[in-house]
Amino acid sequence: MNKLLVIIGKIIIKILHLFKRNAGNLPGIILWHLTGGKCCRMFKIDCPIIAVTGTNGKTSVTNCIAQLFEQNGKKIIINKEGNNLDTGICSLLLRHCSISGKVDADYLILETDESHVPVVYSQQKLETLVVLNFFRDQLDRNGEMETLIQKINHFCKTFEGNLVLNGDDPNTARLGRANPDNKNVRYFHAEPYKFATEKIFEASEGRFCPFCGQPLEYDYYQYSHIGKFICRNCGFGDFIPFITASNIDLEKPVFTADGNKYSPKLNSIYNVYNMTAVAGIGKLYNIDRNIINKVISRYTVKNGRMENFMLGDRKTTLNLAKNPVGANMTLRVMNEMQGEKELLFVLNDNVADGLDVSWIWDINFSIFRNVTRVVTSGTRAYDIAVRIKCSGYDASDIVVKPDLDEAVEELARTDGRKFVIANYTAVQSTRNALKRYISKHGGKNE
Amino acid sequence: MSKLKVLHMYADMLDLYGDSGNMEILEYRCKMRGIECDVEKYSIDSKMPDFSSYDLIYIGGGADLEQQHISTDLQKCRKGIESAYKKGVFLFLICGGYQLMGKYYKDADGNKIKGLGLFDYYTVAEPDRRKRCIGNIIIRTDFMGKSVDIVGFENHGGQTKGVKTPLGDVLCGHGNCTKSQHEGYFEKNVIATYMHGPCLAKNPEISDYIIEYCINRNTENKVKLLKLDDTLEKQCRQVMIDRLIKK
Repeated sequence: MNKLLVIIGKIIIKILHLFKRNAGNLPGIILWHLTGGKCCRMFKIDCPIIAVTGTNGKTSVTNCIAQLFEQNGKKIIINKEGNNLDTGICSLLLRHCSISGKVDADYLILETDESHVPVVYSQQKLETLVVLNFFRDQLDRNGEMETLIQKINHFCKTFEGNLVLNGDDPNTARLGRANPDNKNVRYFHAEPYKFATEKIFEASEGRFCPFCGQPLEYDYYQYSHIGKFICRNCGFGDFIPFITASNIDLEKPVFTADGNKYSPKLNSIYNVYNMTAVAGIGKLYNIDRNIINKVISRYTVKNGRMENFMLGDRKTTLNLAKNPVGANMTLRVMNEMQGEKELLFVLNDNVADGLDVSWIWDINFSIFRNVTRVVTSGTRAYDIAVRIKCSGYDASDIVVKPDLDEAVEELARTDGRKFVIANYTAVQSTRNALKRYISKHGGKNE
Repeated sequence: MSKLKVLHMYADMLDLYGDSGNMEILEYRCKMRGIECDVEKYSIDSKMPDFSSYDLIYIGGGADLEQQHISTDLQKCRKGIESAYKKGVFLFLICGGYQLMGKYYKDADGNKIKGLGLFDYYTVAEPDRRKRCIGNIIIRTDFMGKSVDIVGFENHGGQTKGVKTPLGDVLCGHGNCTKSQHEGYFEKNVIATYMHGPCLAKNPEISDYIIEYCINRNTENKVKLLKLDDTLEKQCRQVMIDRLIKK
């Protein structure tokens, strides 16, 4: 039966390729229906599986962990394109398995959607689960965030593998108590950086202890609700970190973890957290420190995450922001830069974005400094325009251009520094629009 | 100069889908007209306020867990809120705030949370957590004799029944219950609704109804509000209406 399913799957992939279609998800969807929802069960996997989940940073961390093993000479399989639902993982495995369903690799490194962790790993044995953070994101697809955490928590109750958790996020750290018999729970942690605050700066979750309901106390907040917290009542948050990032200096940028000094390319505090998780996996799997260093210092992204473009001679930085945390971070970076600048905000509400866009009201636009003009675009261009207007920004300096090419033309019409923020499904189309502008009017994608 | 005194309750816990944005919008629309708007916050650790000294009491929505956390504290405020309401203080209630002013709220696990019982309605959450009322919603309502279609975003498991005076008729979406005809609860000085988004973002008529009510409630010389340029808001709303109904 399994063999038949695998053959069917492989034929579907062949057909899709014949028509030059992407086979990233569709084969899995068809097999999902054929198997009554258990589309990952048919594979024979003997090697360890490492899964990465959380709201922000999954793709970065998954890629870096894959490189750790790759540089170590191991054969790995990874879902690079971010097909992270059960159907996407099934499609990936179909491409890499033999006719009998055997998957040949030393390690599987799988970015896994938060809500699909229990789905996939009830079908295949998981060795290590990395949980980065939980923020409000795509709430309407998952129901309330609490439901989502409970789903993963339920999975963790019987999970005995390695659980690598962000110890500075109460939403993820609580998973460490799900199975008291699991001796393989490890926390990563970061000491305060220069812009850490004593009070919370942005909208957040997790203000209360999930175990006893008492308010959580924070020594410091790094960003959003991420920081050193403790429950004075029941002691939640009192753990010994497996790995700690310290001496964080984002201007260079450098940080130290486990006695090693790292110089990442990306200068954000959330990248420090991501790379600390990567270093943690390196430590857990006894990977040579030179390899860890190489991976962390070389890692950069070219997919709309702080990506630079030249629109003619106008420097433009594009950043993905799929939730208020990401957007607030970008606004901070924008503010910390000297001089006047203009912002293009592209907001879509496609299914993958979550149909709801009210998270834009949790972005703190009142901190705008020297932003001389705002252009808005995307399927919800007017929503973001209204939101920025109600923060007190002069409506006459807001231009709404739902069409993306028109929006980029409008942005580039004037001189000076430009910033672009785009949410999840908007980021690729925005990159393409920026590239179209460049091929038409000159400039470059750095 | 007119002044609006607002009490925003449990802002730190009940704030789903931009609910706190409603306060930002009210403040903005007051400021544009030179009306002072003073928003004070009340939460679990706060000193018991004099509820009747405010013009407007606002409560947003939260997840089940947060609603359980605040319910005991809210009971302590019952007398104060009830007497303020009877004296004509405006109550603006979203989602959880809406539910907790009714008789009770029974959550998805069957836990019954006592409401303040100001109004006759009651809410029972759909036990299957996957069956929620989610999506953009349009309702037709009446403000000061003018029919308006208002647009928001709903996401609730709760089914609210026994509403005698709803806020409006559902044109698209669910409303008080799954696929129901009516949405929200309305009285002269009460607007309760499941609409997030935040609710006021695309619906300046609701903001202005509330502001006008509040600044006029204790005075003989009724003031008409200065008109604002709501082009962006109305275009924003129209884009959604066109998408959901006309096309």
